[in-house]
Amino acid sequence: MPAILEAHDLTKRFALGSTEVEALRGVSLEVQAGEFLALMGPSGSGKSTLLQLLGGLDRPTTGSVVFEGRDISRLSDDEATRLRRERTGFVFQAFNLIPLLNVRENIALPFTIAGNDGNRGEYRDRVREVIALVELNGKENNRPDQLSQGEQQRVAVARAVVTRPSVLLADEPTGNLDYTTGGEILDALWRTCEQSAQTIVLVTHDARAAAYADRVLVIRDGRIREEITLGRRADHSAAPLIARLAQIGL
Amino acid sequence: MGLTRLSARIVAARPLRSFLTIIGVALGVGVLSASLSLGARLDEAISRTVRDLVGNADLRVSSFLERGLSDATVDEIRTVDGVTVVAATVERRTFLAGVPGTTAGAVTVLGVDPTAYLELHPVVLVAGAPLARIDEPSAMITERLAASAGYVVGSELTIQGAGAPVPVRVVGIIEGGGPEAGASGRTVIVPLDVARAVFAPNGVTRVDIGLAPGVTVATAASMLAERITTEPYVLASPADIAAGLRASTADVRTTIGWLAAIILFVGAFLIINTVSMTVGERAREVGLLRAAGATRGQIFGFVLVGAGLIGLIGSALGLAVGFGLSVLVAGSVRALSGFAAPVEGLDVASLVIALIVGLVVTVAAAFEPAIRASRIAPVEAMRAPLDVSAVRRGRLIWLTAVLAFVVIIALIAWPPTEVSSGAGGALAVYVVLLVATLTSPFILGPLARIIGIPLSYLVRLEERLARGSFARDRSRTALTLGALVIGLAMVVALGWTAQAARQRATEWLADVVPGDEVVTSIRPIPADERVREALAGVAGVRSVSPIATFDLALKGVRIDAAAVVGADFLEDGRLTFTEGDRATALAALDAGGSAIVPASAADRLGLRVGDHISLALGTGTPLDLRIAGVVERSIPSGGGEAILVGWPDALGPIGVTGANVFAVRFEPGAAGTARPALESTARTLALEANPLERIQGAVTEALGRVFGLFDALALIALLVAALGIVNTLGMGVLERVREIGLLRAIGMSRSQASRMVVTEGLILGLVGTVLGVAVGLMVGAVLLSMSGAFDGSVTLPWSSIAAAAGLGLASSVVASYYPSLVASRVSIVRALKFN
Ligand SMILES: Nc1ncnc2c1ncn2[C@@H]1O[C@H](COP(=O)(O)OP(=O)(O)O)[C@@H](O)[C@H]1O
Ligand SMILES: [Mg+2]
Repeated sequence: MPAILEAHDLTKRFALGSTEVEALRGVSLEVQAGEFLALMGPSGSGKSTLLQLLGGLDRPTTGSVVFEGRDISRLSDDEATRLRRERTGFVFQAFNLIPLLNVRENIALPFTIAGNDGNRGEYRDRVREVIALVELNGKENNRPDQLSQGEQQRVAVARAVVTRPSVLLADEPTGNLDYTTGGEILDALWRTCEQSAQTIVLVTHDARAAAYADRVLVIRDGRIREEITLGRRADHSAAPLIARLAQIGL
Repeated sequence: MGLTRLSARIVAARPLRSFLTIIGVALGVGVLSASLSLGARLDEAISRTVRDLVGNADLRVSSFLERGLSDATVDEIRTVDGVTVVAATVERRTFLAGVPGTTAGAVTVLGVDPTAYLELHPVVLVAGAPLARIDEPSAMITERLAASAGYVVGSELTIQGAGAPVPVRVVGIIEGGGPEAGASGRTVIVPLDVARAVFAPNGVTRVDIGLAPGVTVATAASMLAERITTEPYVLASPADIAAGLRASTADVRTTIGWLAAIILFVGAFLIINTVSMTVGERAREVGLLRAAGATRGQIFGFVLVGAGLIGLIGSALGLAVGFGLSVLVAGSVRALSGFAAPVEGLDVASLVIALIVGLVVTVAAAFEPAIRASRIAPVEAMRAPLDVSAVRRGRLIWLTAVLAFVVIIALIAWPPTEVSSGAGGALAVYVVLLVATLTSPFILGPLARIIGIPLSYLVRLEERLARGSFARDRSRTALTLGALVIGLAMVVALGWTAQAARQRATEWLADVVPGDEVVTSIRPIPADERVREALAGVAGVRSVSPIATFDLALKGVRIDAAAVVGADFLEDGRLTFTEGDRATALAALDAGGSAIVPASAADRLGLRVGDHISLALGTGTPLDLRIAGVVERSIPSGGGEAILVGWPDALGPIGVTGANVFAVRFEPGAAGTARPALESTARTLALEANPLERIQGAVTEALGRVFGLFDALALIALLVAALGIVNTLGMGVLERVREIGLLRAIGMSRSQASRMVVTEGLILGLVGTVLGVAVGLMVGAVLLSMSGAFDGSVTLPWSSIAAAAGLGLASSVVASYYPSLVASRVSIVRALKFN
């Protein structure tokens, strides 16, 4: 399988008053098309920073990100905007939705931003499709405050995949949810990967979430410490991952 | 750190918002202090003018007949109990020989009894000595006249009058412009007998009276009324004269007063909005303070202190604004009221009142947000920062209460005279504005939807998101939109009143003057001087119609009157009759025994065609005239419209000596060549010729100056409103930083983000314009009907509506510039930080 997304020796430093925080200290990785990759690590280890660089939301201090064969780490704002609009999808931990828009409008937002009418033709079909995928039929006209948190996150997943992005980037999408509800989101992600070969990069600090992935990269202090290959498994059991982490002392 | 210090830090934490609010307060306080100072300064100026006019006199008896008060009447006055000084005066405008015979070279001649006059009018001499004897050919002149004509003590002046010119010698020079404020400082005071010799009038213009200590003006007035039975007269005390002067400025004062109130009102919106936003934004901190043990009272005080700080800085700045404005205002008032008293500068009492009102309004405006803050629960500290909970949003019901409170404060703080004179109208205007403001957020929804339809074709997403953001906080929207609506409504309403006033002034003159050119004289010109014939002889002149303006007494009230040639008016097609037949009525005028009254006077006096009026005359027998017609508008004279009488009555029983105005009509197409010829002929006759357009132009220019001031004030209100829009849109962006970050993360471009905010401003502007124009027309209708000008002839003020639309859109788009810039610069990564 060809690598769809590559990171080469990424570093990221943030100025914090007079001092500097080194969030990433040289990260290299490859994501294959259709792969479900998890980035796992404790809070503050640099996961979100890495994900932002991979999705073109921010620029690395040094190193480069190659997406579909093109270096995206030095794009202009307009180019990065186009990339986000057309090639990537994002799901965040919370506040993924625009409160005043209903479910359908929120999901169709990427189309609307691109100047297309989400209520017409192909776009309408795509919206309908992803609503079915995340099992929200019947709630199309609800506003975000009329949905449970789990449902809100499913809307976010639907919105992220509606444009059929090359890669879906999710930052702790289950971080605010209880175990069962979190499972619904992960199931939805997994289905997209399984059914439409969606490439996914999932950031999480939770081994049970990471266990949905084909492969897990363990991050500590801005570096990749370990790579654990789990393979595609329908049961998503966390036991092998936890055992392996224990084995390497993490 | 004390809570007060924390308040100050919070004010400083949002410099733009605090700055905008401070500017808003400053403008409000500035206009208020300028308006209050104007009142105080005018009062001072009026009493100074009155002192100049009547000196130490307690009463003034004026004649209003051309021939003046007779010697018999003056003698009667001398015998009234309690009258100690009687200063009979003849006043005439004339020329000095040698000084070019133009109006600018004209002088006012006062003929006085030196002893009595000087007792009542102490003069300060810069050179020479006062007049001594009643019959000596000597004169005191003003310093200004002396300077302009090069006269010194000992110079000889030649006064031109009815008979042969009379030479007098200058014996004294009076400081400055002398006693007559209206005479532009060119006054010659001569002994009474000398004046009588020059002008050969039958009587004196007026008699100033000094009363014995203990004698009241009222008793003296009633005794005079018993004595003077043969001649019509006007009795005025210094208080009456002051009241008359005050009345001439009352309209401007009232209008400026309520414009100031409106600006303050709009300023209050800005303050409520700002404090409210700050409270909403700081809910977490407030929750933390509460969790840490701060009492509700402390929180309440904490918010008020912050607002008070803004009020204090704003009010202080407002004094500078006020000073600048007072100069502008003074200029306009002078243009309108015509008396040259200086009225600029601020007065201390007004400053203090304006400062206090500024502070009180600020603190009152902060009251509701402060209460809301004090009700914030400690658990707010735990909430996610951008959860829009009810406690953060202002409620309209509270807004109503606070605004009503502000209105009451404004009414209390207002000078009582201004409240009473315009209270009904001002209140009606307030109610319209308040209702418009409070209903605006409800109207905004549907209206924005309609207005959004065309916009959505251009900017679908931006339009949808922008429109939705108004529902976020209804009271914020109400205040922002309300301020804009009020500002624009002022532009429309004032524009409309100005247009109506101009239209009336122009139409009025064209409708009543039977000529293209108006030739005026500073003295009545008897028919035997053949001036009319001289003017008519100018090539290209078709007709010359003599007109005399004078006063009459009707049922003890002074009324303006004019003598006209009915046949000229008939032929020229002037005057619009609302009652009576024009041909019959105008012919009746020339036959004598009839009068034509203007509709305003007919309404006031309850006169109809066929009624008779009885005019008091100096002869003892009253003149009885039959009303032959009622006209829509009549010739302007004095302060109002004249009752028209025929020349037979004017020259006969009324005793008018001649015409002082000639209306000249040119042959069609001959105006170009005839005008210069006429003007030079007029000059040789010591007359002043003015084209009708120039007179109309002068009238509209004076109106323009006054309305220019009003427009400036309306623009200030609009500026304050625009500051509010910047604030609100800016707050909307801050509140939605996360939303904007999210939109950017899923592909929204910078320009789309900024367009979203501009669209928001545009919708506000469009809705504000529609509402502002509607409200402006309502307010304008109220104002016009208050002045009785709201009738069929009123046309809509399209230019003001266009101006309001332009201003509304421009100000909202300009106001959205900075917030849109902020929106376009939102950092995605930072916006997505969740804690
Ligand atoms: N904008 C920023 N400014 C300063 N420091 C930052 C910024 N973003 C992240 N950091 C720091 O970089 C490190 C990594 O952060 P992050 O990638 O958010 O970690 P994670 O998502 O794994 O919890 C942390 O120490 C964090 O404090
Ligand atoms: Mg993170």
